[in-house]
Amino acid sequence: MKHIVKILTLVMAITALWVGLLQTSMIPRSHTWLLPIYFVVSLGCYGLLMVGVGLMNFPTCPQEALLLQKDIGEAKEYLKQKGVDISPS
Amino acid sequence: MDLADRAVGFLLSFISLSIFTYYTFWVIILPFVDDDHFVHKYFLPQEYAILIPVSAGVALLCFLSIFVGFVMLKSKKKKA
Repeated sequence: MKHIVKILTLVMAITALWVGLLQTSMIPRSHTWLLPIYFVVSLGCYGLLMVGVGLMNFPTCPQEALLLQKDIGEAKEYLKQKGVDISPS
Repeated sequence: MDLADRAVGFLLSFISLSIFTYYTFWVIILPFVDDDHFVHKYFLPQEYAILIPVSAGVALLCFLSIFVGFVMLKSKKKKA
């Protein structure tokens, strides 16, 4: 709940800044109109960057995978002993 | 497998950073540079700064809708 308030505040601040820029026309109109698209593009770039970074140092744990495979084998053996059919249908 | 993932991640980060740098230069800094400066040779006219992102967004949205529709059709066929 707190996060969304933060995001909304940021959006409001950016909108207020943009409207102010439009009203005062400090810089030419045609350039001010580009700003929202600039923000959308930078948001997309941020998302892509986060995905790339997450993919780059994706945590893998090979030891845990080995242990898990061993566990699965053990469970299969146990179930077979008890007479449960676990063949993939 | 691990190395390929890492390479893809690096590529994604690199692409996003380069797009961000180029677009920032194009939209934020270029209006303050003189019109007859040589830097303007490396950038398209200002209209394209709107046209390209909007068309890319529309294309992405179309692709997403087509993909979702395709998946829905496929799942319905499976159920029947």
